[in-house]
Amino acid sequence: MKKSQSLEELLKTAGNPVAMLRNSRIGAYVYPVVPGEFSNWRDEQAAWQKTAVLFDQSHHMVEQYVEGKDALKLFTYLGTNSFANFPVNRAKQLAPCSHSGHVIGDGILFHLETNKLVFVGRAPAANWIQFHAETGKFKVKTYKDDRSPGNAKGKAVVRRNYRYQIQGPNAWQVIEKLNRGPVPELKFFHMATMKIGKRKVRTLRHGMAGAPGLEIWGPYREREEIRAAIVEAGRDFGLKEVGARAYATNTLESGWIPSPLPAIYTDQRMQAFRKWLPAASYEGTGSIGGSFNSSNIEDYYMTPYELGYGPFVKFDHDFIGRAALEKVAGKPHRRKVTLAWNADDVAKVWRSMLEKGDPYKYIDLPLSNYTSASYDRLSNGGKTVGMSMFAGYSYNERSMLSLGVVDPDIQLGNEVKLLWGEEGGGSKKTTVERHKQIEIRAIVSPVPYAKQAQTTYHEGWRSKAVA
Amino acid sequence: MKTLEEVLRAAGNPVDLLRNAQAGPNVYPGVPPEYTNWREETQAWQKACVLFNLSYHMADLYVEGPDATKLLSSLAINTFKNVSPGRAKQFVPCSHDGHVIGDVILFNSAPEKYVLVGRIPALNWITYHAQAGKYDVKLELDERSAARKDPLNRKQYRFQIQGPNAMKTMEKVLGGKVPEVKFFHVAPMTIAGKKVTALRHGMAGQPGFELVGPMAEGDAVRDAIVKAGEEFGLRLVGGRAYSANTLESGWIPSPLPAVYSGEQMKPYRQWLKEDSYEARASIGGSFVSNRIEDYYLSPWDMGYGSFIDFEHEFIGREALQKMAKGPHRRKVTLALENADVLKVIGSQLQKSGRGKFMEFPSAVYSMHPYDKVLAGGETVGLSTWVGYSANEGRMLTIGILDAAHAEPGTEVTFVWGEENGGTKKPTVERHSQMEIRAIVCPVPYAETARKVYSDSKGWRAKTPA
Repeated sequence: MKKSQSLEELLKTAGNPVAMLRNSRIGAYVYPVVPGEFSNWRDEQAAWQKTAVLFDQSHHMVEQYVEGKDALKLFTYLGTNSFANFPVNRAKQLAPCSHSGHVIGDGILFHLETNKLVFVGRAPAANWIQFHAETGKFKVKTYKDDRSPGNAKGKAVVRRNYRYQIQGPNAWQVIEKLNRGPVPELKFFHMATMKIGKRKVRTLRHGMAGAPGLEIWGPYREREEIRAAIVEAGRDFGLKEVGARAYATNTLESGWIPSPLPAIYTDQRMQAFRKWLPAASYEGTGSIGGSFNSSNIEDYYMTPYELGYGPFVKFDHDFIGRAALEKVAGKPHRRKVTLAWNADDVAKVWRSMLEKGDPYKYIDLPLSNYTSASYDRLSNGGKTVGMSMFAGYSYNERSMLSLGVVDPDIQLGNEVKLLWGEEGGGSKKTTVERHKQIEIRAIVSPVPYAKQAQTTYHEGWRSKAVA
Repeated sequence: MKTLEEVLRAAGNPVDLLRNAQAGPNVYPGVPPEYTNWREETQAWQKACVLFNLSYHMADLYVEGPDATKLLSSLAINTFKNVSPGRAKQFVPCSHDGHVIGDVILFNSAPEKYVLVGRIPALNWITYHAQAGKYDVKLELDERSAARKDPLNRKQYRFQIQGPNAMKTMEKVLGGKVPEVKFFHVAPMTIAGKKVTALRHGMAGQPGFELVGPMAEGDAVRDAIVKAGEEFGLRLVGGRAYSANTLESGWIPSPLPAVYSGEQMKPYRQWLKEDSYEARASIGGSFVSNRIEDYYLSPWDMGYGSFIDFEHEFIGREALQKMAKGPHRRKVTLALENADVLKVIGSQLQKSGRGKFMEFPSAVYSMHPYDKVLAGGETVGLSTWVGYSANEGRMLTIGILDAAHAEPGTEVTFVWGEENGGTKKPTVERHSQMEIRAIVCPVPYAETARKVYSDSKGWRAKTPA
């Protein structure tokens, strides 16, 4: 591969992009630098539901800065969201779409200062932002701080910022102890500052499972000092540091789908972006995995409505994808759900490791994804009714869970079948050993997978089969 | 800084201290957990060829000087008569009462010049005697990555090429015939233009090599091997698969160093500091005894009975002479019963009564795993390392059993998890102890053992007569 090769050139030689991405050799999507476990991932998961946790988000996301007098104008042009009420010290979830109205990626947009914003998330949306900043007629400058390497090989890792979250039912007590006094409870996604030791740190009001929490960030060189202060303050409140293994699974309980395939591989209107994107980008090297297999890459695209971002779509401004979204806005949409996997069927997968012949695809715990973008087929009576897109085990819920989208006629409580593993013994991804596929029964459950779901469906495996 | 002796006195019972220690299991830093996936990485060492990267998880102690052989020989159960430059051996030091302190690989690179590689307890013991015994030697310790401020800045890289295609890969990367080298002998080789010291090694009956050279040249040597091995199915092995490989080869990585008791060992405990491996190490598992001595292993327990040479003076000699008559326990592989293993794994999906989480492929959750093994309700031995073999499709452990229960085919019960919900180790979540039936198999768990299984129908088919 030539260094200068673009994604567009790569796609031309690769043939079908689905085949290219499903056989990518990039390996697992790594949550880098942070140790796998600080204590053990079971207790670390339990802590975010029972006490308090410290998430270290300093390494796995891209920071895309945009500065200049047109910064807000740029984001307004790319965001489906309304920017009518977005002053400094506010944040919002930004899920920019393609011209066809499909999601490119999503992350958090922070309004840091007048004319200075930063987007924090996976690479695809950041790349899309950078592309428009560089090639559009916007008076802006950009700076990208890339995610940390998956295998640093002993080299020092330096990010611009540390980024922590303090979450869980005891989070606010930890925060007030750190601040040595009450911290006004701002509205969700409002930003402020607080004191930790001698440092003033910036904060974003966040939360998990109804309990308020904070995201805090500051210069990377201060990360150890701040971390130590949080751990110390959290001692009395059962705060646990969460390692990379448990971290990625917190979304199974909170219900955000981190990894839709960026909708950029087709469409003439997206070609300029593909020519701008290097072949070595996330988009060119990432992988698709799972049982959902269509030769049409557009079948992997998701609309904002499907991913649960419908309420953010506001037609009060012009933005890329608006015309397409206006057309589908009033129609029935597939919708985001949690899937609770049948325990007996999961045990069958594990049993196969102790039997002769090819096993079923290994279910790793607690995070069971084996690719950058997971797409497993959900079916009902042999008909595809959706896909499962992020899977793992919750020690809190004592269940395998996944997040996915289902057709409008699929109801909460319905049992669907999740096809686990890949066809024909598996694709060529390095994370895929030869295996068989298996249908796993799953109960369609709410997002987030909350108390309601537990009380409705717990004790044994009761389900309402789809009529 | 406090000494180990002071730490132990303050703690009361060393067993409580170590079983509740905060140290996790041995880590395998410097390599990713998986290069591809641990299932195929494991299968590659039995079916094709693997590159293990051992550069980071072991300590190296360099011993040089007129008294080097004298010092080392005085600590080893092994003879030094057959040690000469260009040879290596497994070096096993014992305490005064004849229990194993550790075992490491000793390389004799030149007259009176050695390097010893492995877990730190054996190396600490050597260092202590070098200082206390006024030997004319110079020592240099190159600590393992986990114990360094500059984790990956080791002096030497250390790779192994193993598996049935190892020799083909070697031949290709050397660009010609692989020199004949006897087992555990060393020969100089050149790979990618770099001088490499190659120790003839092997795994599961297949010849292989351990390759050593200056750290700075490691990448070039590794890249050349990976390229050469491509056509022979070579896989790089990550930390997850690596830690389970000993289940198939049968080496016990984790004897508790026999240093925590005994008057004669007291000066050593006064020399060891509170930040030493010995003061921080953890014991995990269902085997519980108030006597720390019950955790000590003899050379016979470890399968090293044949190494003992009474022709030379060494620490522990007298005690071992008394023990030599026996009875001795025997090292075995335990093949855990699938149905019971599944009960433990499946319990993760239950509302209550969850067993200790069984990690794949290595299920070890402490520095020194000690689980009890029962027969007829009585403890008849211990189990040490535990994990899953993707080659055998089984959960295996390496056990040490009373001779009466050590015959292949014998049924025993392995107890998984800790008592009363578990100790305070950070790796231990609250859990219920669960019993797992097991069949005694040979070490290493080889073709013969697998045959015992395929010929039998179910659990009780192979009860010894």
